[in-house]
Amino acid sequence: MQDLENEIRSMIAEIIERDPSEVTPDAKFFEDLGVDSMMALEIMAAMEKKYKISIPEENLAKLTTLRETVAVAKEILEKKG
Amino acid sequence: MLNIEEIQKILPQRFPFLMVDRVIELEPGKKVVAIKNVSFNEEFFGGHFPGQPVMPGVLIIEAMAQSAIILFYADKEETADKKLSYYLGSVKVRFLNPAFPGDQLKITVEPIKIISGAALVNATVYAGDKEIARGEMSFSVKEGHE
Repeated sequence: MQDLENEIRSMIAEIIERDPSEVTPDAKFFEDLGVDSMMALEIMAAMEKKYKISIPEENLAKLTTLRETVAVAKEILEKKG
Repeated sequence: MLNIEEIQKILPQRFPFLMVDRVIELEPGKKVVAIKNVSFNEEFFGGHFPGQPVMPGVLIIEAMAQSAIILFYADKEETADKKLSYYLGSVKVRFLNPAFPGDQLKITVEPIKIISGAALVNATVYAGDKEIARGEMSFSVKEGHE
């Protein structure tokens, strides 16, 4: 879980061009980190590529913090088995 | 697959900014292959650069982006009339060879992820065997202007 969180944190930090230390578990993507919908789409696509999963569009609205994003990835990875 | 009349029903861009002449392969939502013929008559060659005509990279990006709109919208009807605005979100493109007058650019665009109202795509541009550019870009679609 910690590894997954760290990997996703680095991925997000790179996409949104922020230092990974700013992407704390509960920093709000939109309000605190200036993430827009295009960046959220890129985050989704990056996770799909890295973990070879498919993240349905309705999950986009759940990507609000690192914690929530990791939860989405974890849920889909667990379903995948 | 799509001639210039049909392309204009999808793309809102017009002279001098319509960067797709023909679509030769089209699987809506999956793949588009488009052609842009580069002619010395293009206005921009007058200034880019005098005596050394090279197609500006930003216009190659524009050709990729317009091809991506066709990919995104080909299965929907007459979108050019709907006053949709297209906004590029990010562009990550590498230019490998310059494009010159006389080149026929073959632009292939495939989706990485498409959702309603936005897409992230991969694009490559070739002139014959010569790779001109490749990269990825994201864009969103909104009705009307902001």
